[in-house]
Amino acid sequence: MNLKKYFIRVLHRLQKGPGYTYKELLVWYCDNTNTHGPKRIIREGPKKKFIWFFLTLLFASLVFWQWGILITTYLSYSVSSSLSIGFKTMKFPAVTVCNASPFKYSKVRHLLRELDELTEAALERILQSKNRDATSALPLNSSETPSQTLNLRLWNQIPLVLIDESDPERPVIIDLFETDESGSGAQPNNSSPALVNVTSEAKKQKVAMKLCSRKALPNCIYRNFTSAAQAVTEWYILQSTSIFAKIPRNETVEMGYQPEDMILACLYGAEPCSYRNFTPIYHPDHGNCYIFNWGKDEEALFSSNPGAEFGLKLILDISQQDYIPYLTSTAGARLMLHEQRSFPFLKDLGIYAMSGTETSIGVLVDELERMGFPYSDCTMNGSDVPVKNLYNEYNTTYSIQACLRSCFQAQMFETCGCGHYLFPLPEGVSYCNSEDDPDWAYCYSSLRSSIGHRQFCIDSCKETCNDIQYKMTISMADWPSEASEEFQYMQHPLTYERDQSRNATLDRNGIIKLNIYFQEYNYRTISESAATTIVWLLSSLGGQFGFWMGGSVLCLIEFGEIIIDFLWITVIKISNWGKGLKQKRARAQYPDAPPTVSELVEAHINL
Amino acid sequence: MAPPYHGDTREFSMAPAKKIKAKIKKTLPVTGPQAPTVSELMHWYCMNTNTHGCRRIVVSRGRLRKFIWILLTLSAVGLILWQCAELIMSYYTASVSVTVQFQKLPFPAVTICNINPYKYSAMKEHLSELDKETKNALETLYGFSEGKSKVRRDAADWNSTGRNMQSKLLEKIPLLKFDDLFKKTATEILSGHKRKIEGSAFHQGSSMVNIGEPQDVVGFQLCDPNNSSDCAVYIFSSGVNAIQEWYKLHYMNIMAQIPLEMKVNMGYSAEDLLLTCFFDGISCDSRNFTPFHHPLYGNCYTFNSGENGTILTTSTGGSEYGLQVVLYVEEADYNPFLVTSTGAKIIVHDQDEYPFIEDIGTEIETAMATSIGMHFTRSHKLSQPYSDCTETGNDIPVANLYNKSYSLQICLHSCFQRAMVDTCGCAQYAQPLPPGAEYCNYKKYPNWMYCYYKLHEKFVKEQLGCQQICKESCSFKEWTLTTSLAQWPSSVSEDWMLRVLSWDKRQKINKMLNKTDLANLVVFYKDLNERFISENPANNLVILLSNFGGQLGLWMSCSMVCVIEIIEVFFIDSFSIVMRRRWQKMKKWWNDRKAPRPQEPPQVNAPAKEGHDNPVCTDEDLPTFNTALRLPLPQENHMPRTPPPNYSTLQLNAAFTDQLPDTLEGRSH
Repeated sequence: MNLKKYFIRVLHRLQKGPGYTYKELLVWYCDNTNTHGPKRIIREGPKKKFIWFFLTLLFASLVFWQWGILITTYLSYSVSSSLSIGFKTMKFPAVTVCNASPFKYSKVRHLLRELDELTEAALERILQSKNRDATSALPLNSSETPSQTLNLRLWNQIPLVLIDESDPERPVIIDLFETDESGSGAQPNNSSPALVNVTSEAKKQKVAMKLCSRKALPNCIYRNFTSAAQAVTEWYILQSTSIFAKIPRNETVEMGYQPEDMILACLYGAEPCSYRNFTPIYHPDHGNCYIFNWGKDEEALFSSNPGAEFGLKLILDISQQDYIPYLTSTAGARLMLHEQRSFPFLKDLGIYAMSGTETSIGVLVDELERMGFPYSDCTMNGSDVPVKNLYNEYNTTYSIQACLRSCFQAQMFETCGCGHYLFPLPEGVSYCNSEDDPDWAYCYSSLRSSIGHRQFCIDSCKETCNDIQYKMTISMADWPSEASEEFQYMQHPLTYERDQSRNATLDRNGIIKLNIYFQEYNYRTISESAATTIVWLLSSLGGQFGFWMGGSVLCLIEFGEIIIDFLWITVIKISNWGKGLKQKRARAQYPDAPPTVSELVEAHINL
Repeated sequence: MAPPYHGDTREFSMAPAKKIKAKIKKTLPVTGPQAPTVSELMHWYCMNTNTHGCRRIVVSRGRLRKFIWILLTLSAVGLILWQCAELIMSYYTASVSVTVQFQKLPFPAVTICNINPYKYSAMKEHLSELDKETKNALETLYGFSEGKSKVRRDAADWNSTGRNMQSKLLEKIPLLKFDDLFKKTATEILSGHKRKIEGSAFHQGSSMVNIGEPQDVVGFQLCDPNNSSDCAVYIFSSGVNAIQEWYKLHYMNIMAQIPLEMKVNMGYSAEDLLLTCFFDGISCDSRNFTPFHHPLYGNCYTFNSGENGTILTTSTGGSEYGLQVVLYVEEADYNPFLVTSTGAKIIVHDQDEYPFIEDIGTEIETAMATSIGMHFTRSHKLSQPYSDCTETGNDIPVANLYNKSYSLQICLHSCFQRAMVDTCGCAQYAQPLPPGAEYCNYKKYPNWMYCYYKLHEKFVKEQLGCQQICKESCSFKEWTLTTSLAQWPSSVSEDWMLRVLSWDKRQKINKMLNKTDLANLVVFYKDLNERFISENPANNLVILLSNFGGQLGLWMSCSMVCVIEIIEVFFIDSFSIVMRRRWQKMKKWWNDRKAPRPQEPPQVNAPAKEGHDNPVCTDEDLPTFNTALRLPLPQENHMPRTPPPNYSTLQLNAAFTDQLPDTLEGRSH
């Protein structure tokens, strides 16, 4: 009903034309609006009118300009950070302890026997070469060298060579176990020209690793080393990796250090704990690792007091005598503090603890809480990262290290067709070993030194929004003390507890004491909050509008109303004008003035 | 409006414009800027202004209410002023933001030094005398002997070796054993002479540390050679400290006279120091290290110094991808008196930074693997006016003696060196030479030590003004280090490791290495997260203005327009009114003097009163003179603004056309 009435009124208005002009409307608006400027325009004399008109325009444009700035500020999503420091009851960090050596030598000796003999012989060769004339080939002295008994199968896969550079133009490459002497046909090649300059004046002889691809053309690269020690270590790691890759997981776990052998004593606060409180995890770098307070199956432990008395105290035995001699030259325990339910990446974030010492570690949890998209480019749980997290098999949370390793493993599978032993396997892929994939070392070596591949992984992985760093204050002291009574006193009970034997099997080279505790200030949290919220934006917009013109949202609505009125007038005017045009046109058919009645009558009569 | 020439004719027979004016004045309420009195103007202002309080004052009935409103309005004004002042004062505050970015990181420069500066075997000839003297001193003090005879060699023996100067120097500043601090007597340890101590100043511990028995006190005395009564005596609670300080003093004197090339030759070469080097999975060697001569640590080597224009980057975290070096520190060739610890010193720094290894170095133990994990943090502060820091150091009046970018430490050292050159005439050995100066030595500057010690004391007590001149730099890079140690080589790998490393070293020395001569060092990025802590201005002009606007709007609904209005009304209009009234008074006074006859009251006031009583202005929004002419308000003033305008009434046929038919005529002139 109302609608109909309304339309009728609209129609009437259309027919009658607008009741007022643009000027009237404008004047009325100026007089009645709540913004401050326009009123002055119509109230003042011509000079002031002009000034006020100009001022109003200026202020209006200022308002719009500043609004623009405010809105762009808002859309930049800046954040403000707040820092808090103090002590509070916090989750005790998960503590991963490993042995630097992944396996017990006594248990893997049968696997490594061939390789060790080979290494021994190669070392002999290298050391012999010292006094020889370098240009002459190393003679295979059959009476001395054990090469007949050696199985050169492993050697031939990845041989070590000696590069003689006494003549820098023609380096002579000598395979340690072969008599054939290849000239400079194969170019010693290294991926980083910044680091290695082939024409060396410092060392005349260097050891290099020969990595060959047998797939396509026999294509070999030589990985140069300035130090023979480094070369032998790297070579041994490659070879042993290939050997261990073939062994199924449950057997490798057997070969490592068992929890009861490694963790001798444990005390958390005042409560005793034992190796049973540790979650075992198989870490490819370090063999069996044990994680305290991982929070997987049970609730995480809290610590509500600072100081060593309330922290974790451990006594470990690393049995250094059982280390694999060529694989790890560094002896000690590897440990790392990390978040609950996260995978320990010991190579990146771990620290060493030295045998024969007591290591005290005061912990400060340095946390950075960030806001996700659009404030920062970080990921909350890794679900939006295009890399499949292979560490999901450990049921751990996303971390940047996990992403990078997964990315590398994916690339490894893509280029080499097999997975690297140090990283988890994607589905349906097996670990690389020299028998099934003879090219893998070549392939791995080139992939590892490729900058492009690394950059790809850096670009695809995102850091987590909550970044926790455990800041450690490490101090060390000799332990057990030299006083022999005390050492005996420590040694015997611990040995007895472990082996039920009266003979002391522990020695200073093996045992480590660890104290891990919260510092007096145990957290430092930097948290982000949005610097510009919508409330901030509105109040700033209001402030600007108010400051220049005393306006508010209602003023904007008023203005909108006037514009509608304007349009309405225009519509009416156009419709009237159209009507007028029609009439004119209708009139235009008769060029003369319309005939008067008399004329009509006349015409009629004339007819 | 009326053309200007009409105004000139008003004195004489009524021009038509004048007539009109008079007529208008009679009928119209004359208010606004043209109001005749200031109070009229104020009234008009209060009624018409857009601010809220003022109108209430005028409109309210009753004195109390008026008073309250005046109070409220004034307090609102006060609040606005206060709050705006607060806003302005807090304009220069900074907010801190922390961003973390995961990216390829530049590897820092790593400077490695042997703790022992020079090979003792090479230094021996320069130091033989000093060492002999020191040994003797130790023997005398502690009855310690090296199995040699305790017989002191006499001075003549030294002189025959042809180094008169040094022995003279040693005689000049001998070690003293203080027999009685109160009687001020001391024995020269070497010669056994008793002597009286003239100096009054006792330093280094006498005030802070309680020294047990005064008989045990050892020290030395520095005197101003020109004035032997002006002496400073340095005593130490421990003879070891005293001897070391004393040894260092003489050592620096001797070193200052040796030319740089010779010193470099006496130090360790890069091949000596570095056994193996491995970075990011690739071998490196001594050529990747840039030599750098440190006055106290001899030859140091900087990895990745960026000297050849490229700075290495790390694109993977973890120990395998960092810098791994095995250092060879030749323990047997150490100077027994100068350094008492064994190992190397390293510092992680930016390529542009000077490595202050003596101040902030990390020591590396031998027979150990030291693994250093790094986190990278970059920070930037805002400079003036937010905080007192310097961006480039160019605004600091201290010349940078180091060839590196500015830092606070560089400034302090440079400042001290400058003061040293100004006061003592020569430069201190541990810092670089300013242009035109030379290092202090006893030959040329016999009193430099005394001067140096005095100056250094002043410097420490902040009397030199260096601490005031030097500002911290605004941006800095920091590598947080986590250092941990492990045994290396492990007992089972020791054998082959040492054999192969000896083979590596074969060009230099032909012997089996000992593990106490070796140190393994790994420096790596723990993760590639770069933390960037930066200060940003918390305010800018836009935000300040919107805060102003918020304050003005909150308390008074005021705006910039109101402020201009206030300026207009209170300053321009009131001023003009006051002036006008002055002018009229003057005119009246002039007219009165000219014609003392009583005259009509001045015309101006009358119409104003009339205007007020005019029935037209029952409306609260009084039309002004101008608006009245042009745009009269509708007559039904009871609700002047509310309904949409009755547009037909806005025609110019308003009230005055019939009353003033001659207005139009006058204008059409």
